[in-house]
Amino acid sequence: MDMVRMVVGDGFLIGSCSDRPMSAQRAIWEAHDIPYDFVIPKHMLADVKAKFEADRYFHVGDREDLDKKYALEAGFEFLWPDEAAAMPWFATKDSSDA
Amino acid sequence: MATQLAPESMYRNDEGMGIWEHRGKVAAVGVGHSPTARRWDGKAETSVGAWSILALRRAIEDAGVSPDQVDGLVIVPVTTTGAFWPEDTPVPMDIVNSFNRTGDPLDGIAQLSSEWLLNNMPELTNVNFTMYGAGCMSNALNVASQAIGDGLTHTCLVLKAWHNLEGRYYQSGANAHDAIPGTAALKSLWGAPACYGTALQFAEYCRKYGKTHDMMAPFMTNSRRNGLMFPEGYWAQHRPEELTAEDYEYARWIAKPANLFDNDIPIMMAGAYLFTTAERAQDMKQKPVYILNHASSNAMPRSLTPTLDEVEAETAKTGRKIYEGAGITAADLSFENMYDGFTEFHQFHIEGLGYRGIKFGEALDFYQTDISIEGPNPVSPSGGNIGSGRSRVWLHTDSIQQLQGRAGARQVTGVKPEIAVSGGPMPLGGNYTVWSATPD
Repeated sequence: MDMVRMVVGDGFLIGSCSDRPMSAQRAIWEAHDIPYDFVIPKHMLADVKAKFEADRYFHVGDREDLDKKYALEAGFEFLWPDEAAAMPWFATKDSSDA
Repeated sequence: MATQLAPESMYRNDEGMGIWEHRGKVAAVGVGHSPTARRWDGKAETSVGAWSILALRRAIEDAGVSPDQVDGLVIVPVTTTGAFWPEDTPVPMDIVNSFNRTGDPLDGIAQLSSEWLLNNMPELTNVNFTMYGAGCMSNALNVASQAIGDGLTHTCLVLKAWHNLEGRYYQSGANAHDAIPGTAALKSLWGAPACYGTALQFAEYCRKYGKTHDMMAPFMTNSRRNGLMFPEGYWAQHRPEELTAEDYEYARWIAKPANLFDNDIPIMMAGAYLFTTAERAQDMKQKPVYILNHASSNAMPRSLTPTLDEVEAETAKTGRKIYEGAGITAADLSFENMYDGFTEFHQFHIEGLGYRGIKFGEALDFYQTDISIEGPNPVSPSGGNIGSGRSRVWLHTDSIQQLQGRAGARQVTGVKPEIAVSGGPMPLGGNYTVWSATPD
């Protein structure tokens, strides 16, 4: 959640794609007071790409068989959590906040 | 002497057996539950063995008896259906040796034996009857009921526990091999997901009766709602999330038309009861809940997966056996707690019962009416496995607690809790108990 907060307002479209119920996903974002653009079941990630125009689409996940598979099928780039943490938008913000 | 699996003669498999000879003479009194967890964290104090001991001790305390009064123990030795200990993973001997172990190091870790439990519960000094039920608490309850009625034990603990490990369910053990002997290979190794057979039956059900998967939604939301009022359950303890109709309808298919939420979530837990004679129950701490009958289905399908016709024939037969042995009719049921772990066979069970007069093909329409605990037709007030995780125990605990009047926020209010039925798992192959607030 701290990582997501770092990029809120920087032009990122933010949301979650999970096997957790959509109502539970919404509740998690709201519990952390983070504005979100979408919640979607895992297998419907392609709908996000269809709905939102963006330069690049990333999905951060931790399952080869479910997260990565669905992300690549939906035309998203896939990042493992450690790869996401190393992305420049997080790294730059992290150093400036420090 | 090694504990034996209960003989077939202890089960009431057939129609025409008449009223159960021990009707109203056996009672459930104490209930004990362990905490729940999604998976084992590798610690001794959260192992399936430790939690089993905890649940048993809580059941003894709940009943208000001293441990030396207990003379019987009926358990289910198997503690998983799909999380088998990986063959290439060493058993943690430090954990194993932190208990009074048996010759099998997996005892207390990924299975149970009565020997292991008695080794680690020295306060049980007078247990002289032990027996195994196969598979489910539903089965063990039938065994304990019959054993007490037959005079084999008078104060008997009944236990079912579950472990869950890292990794995907049903992917380990024999299923991780390249070959499995027998027809299991067709289902477990090369076959579809576990819910496939039920999904196939449900698809045929929808085709035959003109129903849709979306019509399951009220049952799903109601079950999760009830589960969130079950403080012993997984969802209430760890993820107090509602399940909306939208959540359910948009979930991904596992084996269409069975989706993610039509499958229960594997967890760790242990549940235990203290059963006794109706006479002894009078002096115990909780209100006795009397057993009016136990009945079983041992039907075998003609092929690998039962057809809808076979399912309907067998659930109808089971319903007749349940009522015949208890000396009741469907109209006497205050509520039902039939199994739901796959959700899509719950309606087969209750249609077989003729619950509230419903006939085959009518359950999904019935789900569109008031099936809440506040209404006149409660469906699965326990919330079942949907509401509290994969245990096959909630249905029984709820039935006991409802009739004792201590189901808390989950207590049914639209009906007077007098007679209930619970059991499962499968439409072909299950065990059922009829519970009553009074012995006659």
